[in-house]
Formats: sequence, structure tokens, C-alpha cells
Amino acid sequence: MNLKFHNKKITGILTVLPENEVNFDDEIENYDFSRGQSMKLKLIMGYGKRRVVKDGTTASDLCVFGLKYLFDNDLLNKDEIDALILVTQSPDYFVPSTSHVIHGKLDLKQDMYCLDISQACSGYPVGLNQAFMLLEQEEINKVVVLNAETMSYKVSLKDRGSRPLTGDAAAITVVENDPSGSIIHGTVKLDGKGADALIIPAGGFRMPSTAKTAKLESDESGNSRAMDHLVMKGDEVFNFVQKEVPIMVDNLLAKADKNKDDIDYYMFHQPNKFMLKKLADKIGVPYDKMPNNIVENFGNASGVTIPTNLTYNLGEKLLTDSLLICLAGFGAGLSWTSLLMKIGNLDFCNTIEFKN
Amino acid sequence: MDNFQSSIAEILEVDSVELTDELESFDAWDSLAVLSIIALSDSEYNVPLSAQEINDSKTIEGLKSLIQGKQ
Repeated sequence: MNLKFHNKKITGILTVLPENEVNFDDEIENYDFSRGQSMKLKLIMGYGKRRVVKDGTTASDLCVFGLKYLFDNDLLNKDEIDALILVTQSPDYFVPSTSHVIHGKLDLKQDMYCLDISQACSGYPVGLNQAFMLLEQEEINKVVVLNAETMSYKVSLKDRGSRPLTGDAAAITVVENDPSGSIIHGTVKLDGKGADALIIPAGGFRMPSTAKTAKLESDESGNSRAMDHLVMKGDEVFNFVQKEVPIMVDNLLAKADKNKDDIDYYMFHQPNKFMLKKLADKIGVPYDKMPNNIVENFGNASGVTIPTNLTYNLGEKLLTDSLLICLAGFGAGLSWTSLLMKIGNLDFCNTIEFKN
Repeated sequence: MDNFQSSIAEILEVDSVELTDELESFDAWDSLAVLSIIALSDSEYNVPLSAQEINDSKTIEGLKSLIQGKQ
């Protein structure tokens, strides 16, 4: 489905990373593979350092920390927030919504629109789409989109397929109306038949967590995980991304009447370095226009990787310049989404560390 | 499929492979080799393969027929 929005802009992006850093090299002995095999995997997939929370830190903790930073530094006035959207698949609770928990902890005004959206790696474009739609309301002038994940709790210590790439993070994006007449093009597509390609089988209402769902089982590749853990069919996800994302980007550019060279940067979700390089090759864009360094520095925090990519790789530039950027998210659902928009002259675009 | 055997040899970290060689006989045969073959097949032959299909193909020849059958 093609989407089109008028007169909307991003005015600030803040990424919150837990200060606790884990190195892949220190975890190699957890996996049932030879050191040589793991080092080769590290090289190809781009495994290195990643940030993970500890001591029971949750999505709301990261968001509240980041929002307080913005309030304290006069980068955001809390009374001006008319809508708060949290995109996460690691909520604090099933009931109530984590966005409401955040609303309460920060003593925000009652007169506002507040909701959680359950989306994974497509979560950044999906959250922005929601913000653009809410801004059509006369009384909504400023929307805060929160993306937050603490999925490290849900990957098995002995799963070499998922654990070494999973990181935790949160991001805050402020979205406002833009009287300059800008047009934003977007797309959303999904295939629910691939719902089991990336799934945490137990812990919801379908299969509540029990002692049995916590038991580790080995798979044919030599990884061990429980039903309570995230499980990914890596081959299915890889093939889906290589097939659908280039088609999506071609379609998006055609709708916006742009060529590949017109785009300053392709700021994509960061599954791993390998997949992004293959994607750049297939779409036909140089690697320096599609950064792939988030997993090796911070890990993959699902829907938070696009804003992390923006603040880490383009932070300074986006304060002063205005760039035409293609955003794309793709993953669990299965789901693949994109946006083509000018981003720049931001009030803030940086990364802060959450202490725990 | 001219470079097929040399590409597979590179993935399996050997100088050359024979069509009759069994995939599991190579020291470098692991989930990463499977992923590399999925990527090779996608980029060179435009054929998507699943990990299961690759494991089921048993030999280098089986793998070659699998890709040819989907071209």
C-alpha cells in the first residue's frame, strides 16, 4: 500500500543506549561451535560490541530517562506533547499499555492521545506514519514517537543465531507540522503467513510460560533455546528481505518520481552487516550511502535501529543540513515498510547513555 | 553455472570440490556455509533456497541440480 503525507516533519531525534556493553569475543564459549567457526561468523555478520540492559531495566525506563533528558535540557516542553506513541514488542506489562506507564511516571497532561503499537523491525516507519496521521487533528501539534526494545532478555545464551546480534535501545522522535509544503511518500506491506519466521512461541495467551516452556532444547544447527525465547528462521527472513525490499524501494522512488542517485542516504533497519551489503548490491546503491555499522557497535534493537543509525551516522549533519533520506524497516510479521522524506535542521540529533 | 564449483569450494574453504562430494564431509560445513550458499544462489542465480533444501541436497551435485531445477 502506498501512503502520502503533506506538511509533516521530524524536528528532533534522541537515541538512548544502555551503557552496559557486551563483546561477542567474550561470549564465544557459550556456543556449541568451534572458535574458528565463531570468528568467521563474526567477520561476515559484523558482530562486535552490543549494548544490553541489566538489573531488570525495561522499555519504559529507557524512554523516561530519554524524555527527562530532553525536558531538563529545554529540548522538549512536556506540556506541548499532544500525543505519545510507543512502538515496542517488549512492553513492561500486558496490561496496561507501557505508554500510559510512561505518561504517569512523567506526570504528563491528561489532554493527550497515547497508544502502544506492537511492531518489530518495521516499527520506525510505522510509528512515524501514525504520528503523521495524528497531526491531521486540529488539537495535535506535537507528537512524540518512542521506539524501545529490551529483547536481550528473550534470546537464549546458547543461541548463536540470534543472541550475538541482539541489542537493547530506545529512541525518541519528535514530529510536527511543517507549513513549507513538504510531501512524504511511504509504503507498507505485510505477509502474515510468515508470522512464525520470527517468533517468541511462549509467554502470551496462546502458550503461557511454564517450567516446560523454559526448558532448553537443541536444534539441528547446534543452538539451544526454549519456547520462551525468540526463534528466527534465518533463511526465510534472508530470502524475504532480498526479494521484497528492492521491489519496495523501486516502487517508493517511482511514486516520488526520484532516481536512486537523488537519494542522499538509505537509512535502513540494521539486521546484520551481511544482509545489508547484499541488499545494497541488489538495489544498486554504494555501501557508503547505506550504513551497516550499527550491529557491530550496538547490536540490533529491532525498530530502534533506524533512529540509532540516524543519530550515530548522521547526527552532526542533520543539525545543519537537510537530506533526502529513504528509510526502510523489515522483519517480524512479516512486515516491510518505507518512507522517503527530507530530514534535517533538527533541534537535536544525538545519542545518550542510560546508566545501570 | 560455470563458476559454481569454484564458488562452492571458496565457501567450504577448500581448493576444489567434486560433484560427488558429500556436503557434510567438509570441515567448514555449518550453518554459516548454508547461509553463504543461500546468498550465492540469490545473487548469482536469482534462486531463493531454504536451509532445509540445501541440507536435503546431500552432495555438491545435488545442490547444483537443486539450483538448476529452480532457474
